[in-house]
Amino acid sequence: MATQINPCSSSSTTFPPSSLNQETFSSAKFFNFSTKSSPSRWVFKIHSRINPKNQFELKSSNGYPLNAISLQDGAAEKPLAKELVLPEQAESNLSVTVVGASGDLAKKKIFPALFALFYEDCLPQNFTIFGYARTKMTDEELREMISRTLTCRIDKRENCGDKMEKFLERCFYHSGQYNSEEHFAELDSKMKQKEGGKVSNRLFYLSIPPDIFVDVVRCASGKASSKNGWTRVIVEKPFGRDAESSGELTRSLKQYLAEDQIFRIDHYLGKELVENLSVLRFSNLVFEPLWSRNYIRNVQFIFSEDFGTEGRGGYFDNYGIIRDIMQNHLLQILALFAMETPVSLDAEDIRNEKVKVLRSMRRLRLEDVVIGQYKRNSKDGKTHLGYTEDPTVPNDSLTPTFAAAALFIDNARWDGVPFLMKAGKALNTRRAEIRVQFRHVPGNLYKRNFGTDLDKATNELVLRVQPDEAIYLKINNKIPGLGMRLDRSDLNLLYSARYSKEIPDAYERLLLDAIEGERRLFIRSDELDAAWSIFTPLLKELEAKKIAPELYPYGSRGPVGAHYLAANYNVRWGDLTGDD
Amino acid sequence: MATYSPSTHCPSSSAYSNNSSLINRIHQRTTFPSIPRKGFRPTKLYLHQSSNGVSVSNAVHVQDGAKSMKESPVESDGPVKILKDGILSVPPVTPPEESIDVASFDFNKDKSTVSITVVGASGDLAKKKIFPALFALYYEGCLPEHFTIFGYARSKMTDAELRTMVSKTLTCRIDQRENCGEKMDHFLERCFYHPGQYDSPENFLELDKKLKEHEAGRVANRLFYLSIPPNIFIDAVKCASSSASSAKGWTRVIVEKPFGRDSESSSALTRSLKQYLDEDQIFRIDHYLGKELVENLSVLRFSNLIFEPLWSRQYIRNVQFIFAEDFGTEGRGGYFDNYGIIRDIMQNHLLQILALFAMETPVSLDAEDIRNEKVKVLRSMRPLRLDDVVTGQYKSHTRGGVKYPAYIDDKTVPNDSLTPTFAAAALFIDNARWDGVPFLMKAGKALHDRRTEIRVQFRHVPGNLYNKNIGPGLDVATNELVIRVQPDEAIYLKINNKVPGLGMRLDRSNLNLLYAARYSKEIPDAYERLLLDAIEGERRLFIRSDELDAAWSLFTPVLKELDDKKIVPEYYPYGSRGPVGSHYLAARYKVQWGDVGDVGSQQ
Repeated sequence: MATQINPCSSSSTTFPPSSLNQETFSSAKFFNFSTKSSPSRWVFKIHSRINPKNQFELKSSNGYPLNAISLQDGAAEKPLAKELVLPEQAESNLSVTVVGASGDLAKKKIFPALFALFYEDCLPQNFTIFGYARTKMTDEELREMISRTLTCRIDKRENCGDKMEKFLERCFYHSGQYNSEEHFAELDSKMKQKEGGKVSNRLFYLSIPPDIFVDVVRCASGKASSKNGWTRVIVEKPFGRDAESSGELTRSLKQYLAEDQIFRIDHYLGKELVENLSVLRFSNLVFEPLWSRNYIRNVQFIFSEDFGTEGRGGYFDNYGIIRDIMQNHLLQILALFAMETPVSLDAEDIRNEKVKVLRSMRRLRLEDVVIGQYKRNSKDGKTHLGYTEDPTVPNDSLTPTFAAAALFIDNARWDGVPFLMKAGKALNTRRAEIRVQFRHVPGNLYKRNFGTDLDKATNELVLRVQPDEAIYLKINNKIPGLGMRLDRSDLNLLYSARYSKEIPDAYERLLLDAIEGERRLFIRSDELDAAWSIFTPLLKELEAKKIAPELYPYGSRGPVGAHYLAANYNVRWGDLTGDD
Repeated sequence: MATYSPSTHCPSSSAYSNNSSLINRIHQRTTFPSIPRKGFRPTKLYLHQSSNGVSVSNAVHVQDGAKSMKESPVESDGPVKILKDGILSVPPVTPPEESIDVASFDFNKDKSTVSITVVGASGDLAKKKIFPALFALYYEGCLPEHFTIFGYARSKMTDAELRTMVSKTLTCRIDQRENCGEKMDHFLERCFYHPGQYDSPENFLELDKKLKEHEAGRVANRLFYLSIPPNIFIDAVKCASSSASSAKGWTRVIVEKPFGRDSESSSALTRSLKQYLDEDQIFRIDHYLGKELVENLSVLRFSNLIFEPLWSRQYIRNVQFIFAEDFGTEGRGGYFDNYGIIRDIMQNHLLQILALFAMETPVSLDAEDIRNEKVKVLRSMRPLRLDDVVTGQYKSHTRGGVKYPAYIDDKTVPNDSLTPTFAAAALFIDNARWDGVPFLMKAGKALHDRRTEIRVQFRHVPGNLYNKNIGPGLDVATNELVIRVQPDEAIYLKINNKVPGLGMRLDRSNLNLLYAARYSKEIPDAYERLLLDAIEGERRLFIRSDELDAAWSLFTPVLKELDDKKIVPEYYPYGSRGPVGSHYLAARYKVQWGDVGDVGSQQ
């Protein structure tokens, strides 16, 4: 049995490139037994990363224009022809250019992710990596810099040194201004050299401040676009500060790029358990029947960090936690959670459903939001500075470092179900999780024993995104022994206990997707617009009225206001009950 | 947040506090110890009757139970009424309303006593299960303050000899070793022996006299545990009821299987018992109902929102009840050969679990309400047809140089015995909830492992987005809920999950609850629970006559046919997975046995 398919599988070969649409898409008719983990359980290879060609065939036959929603952007342009002529992987060349190569994100996340992909054989045979930044640096210096942060995956240390050297040989540096077309033209000629006349696909990763996004995109698309392959650009948040600035950014990008060239990354969508959310819902019979207002009482999206801005508050202070975490990461997860079943797992189908959720949501109102800001706290003899004591933050900053919000989706499935979000810095723990609290059992035979609060002993499904990925379902269970006493136990799936494999970083997945043209986890323009329109009025009001955040001590559980907000909707935060 | 319940004297149920997790004390063992059939607490009775009218008028025709319903459920209904008045979660002090009960109870307690007579005291079951269970109850403080234990059997023995015999098999619960020796001494002091014939009223009269001495004028409640062969049930019951019944308190009799060999013999037995006992004096024990996870089945279903919506033909594809032993009759086949695995395991243990599994939501947790629902399930079932049964018998097998004997090699078994040591059956419940859902049972001796479990296989996801990748056999990747009754109690739900890593591969993982990992406490033996229930008059886990009738009527035709046609069982090697016929039976109903190749279940 069991040919284990290459896990990253753009190279995943075996399916014929001929047949059209769905058939191809399913990539794997074969389902195979896992050789690695346990011999007898089924392992399915699903939705393997299809190569772009198939994807586009699929898209054109199953494309979004047919679908109910009117797409503002994507529909207009379909420069598919270019992609359809994509030849075999082996003959093509991939150039990844990290714009802003000397920055922190590049060093800590992007280069290591690229290396991990290389190590796992997920990159095409011919690839080149370029660093681009203003700093003067030689290729050697870049390599030196990168090598310091490259880490090997813990579970595969073999040949790590070897591989690293090979990887570094493919890394080059070009210094230039971000707004200089000449410098990008120089880059283009260097790239051409490396590409050696092969079909070239080019990916630009913009790891730079948002105010120069458009300059870079202009130069890159004007001077360094691929002539015979695809050119894609990955951009990271922030995508504007509000609906207007975001719309403006999108419009500017669109001057130089088609919608399907823009890959807006939200690295939370690359997290293992967020990806798993759809699998859980749609490949198990036991969850979907419960997935509605009939059974779900409320849903909570919780993000907390146990550190503050720590001297890097300059960027943050201009955005605040709502823009930094809620409007993008948490809202994206919410949309995935709450969407209707898509027609297929195709990116456009999924994103169509996500947009529908976002568009069904009520604008957030001021009274449904609680904001907080951390203040100085001394604990165990150590003093943690307050947010405004950060030298990079203005002394009178009102920027929230914590926020809680209650959102509502006014559609048939979710009418009346509160979706609560909570995000904060400098809290007592670090975690990201989704909590689904179910209703109480109607006519519960055991209810007299739950006391007056029926909702305390309800079922709860928890997806812990980080740290220590886990899924658990709280159930009421009889405590073994004579007599009949109940308690809540967990039906557990702790990833570390079940899966020995290290979980890849979100950036690896997303880079690979971008390389393969898989757009499922990237944010489409209309999604972004819909997301902003939920939050923009509130953000404006907060700023216009200069609402002062509730101060909470560094390392605490956040402002108590969050509890009152939850209480307004008869919700109790699941993460603070102490029974985890 | 421990919600306290009224009146328990059994520390095992009250002293357990688990810091922050919700502990709910539910359906507590109410200790109103002696619910007098002659009617003690009239107010409660009336309250109850009115509520009970509902269950009587409830579709099912209760042949026997109805009579007893008037009285029996008082215990558990009393507290409901009280609780409904709003004393829901109370500090561990009994609330005012409660204290009345408790007071009266305490008052009673001083004057009442329980005498437990183990009839057949020298037998195996008595030594291995009954006395140890009684001791465990005593150790845990679950027995009334004053109690007496009598062994009764034909062997001549002194009290001291009985005590020596009993003490040899008494074990202390592992988690509470303190004072064990001391407790044991105290316990043994309360044990006495009386030799006598099982059919001799005089001998029982002597016993009565001895009992009276020990009861010393208190209100005496008497429990007889008949640990004797079925052919002398009636004699013993006759003598006990006529000569050794309690004059002032209750008298109850626990009987164990076999309850007959078929519908006729079973109802003959019931009729005979009824000559001397009322229905509510008879406690038919099925020790599988006392198993922790079987008790938990109702909790899972009815106290969790997430299971009940799925609990029907709409979502459940099939249900499997699996019982396997890894040893044969081992020289004790005499009794077994006369009954066979279908009567020994299926018709009682597995069918009881099935009924609990499949029943509709009862009106309350009251014994009569639950048993009414169980009877409804049994009466909705199709009688089993020969086509839907596969029988097997183990043959000798040599493995690792050891030769394991065949069933008919057992000296206590006739050489030409056709008695099945293995059986698989497909059953159907023709009601709105379960129409068309196969309920498969499998039970066998001398198989490759030992286990008892319930497997619920769900349907495939309709229009599964991931279907294409699962291949043609959609049903291999469905969800499955497994309740492992023994060994290593566990509950797990198989779900499809993404394998972490780049790409998108799915596998089935378990959402797990392994009891050993979650609960440190040792799980009490089923007999402890059932004895305690019998003492307290809690009939939930005992089998009512009409249940028994309904159960037999499902199996009797096929049992007769097997016997009449002398159907030869399929032979399977000792220590194997049983006859392959069971797979073909399953395949006919598009089922795949879940216990074969389930990694999760091996842990």
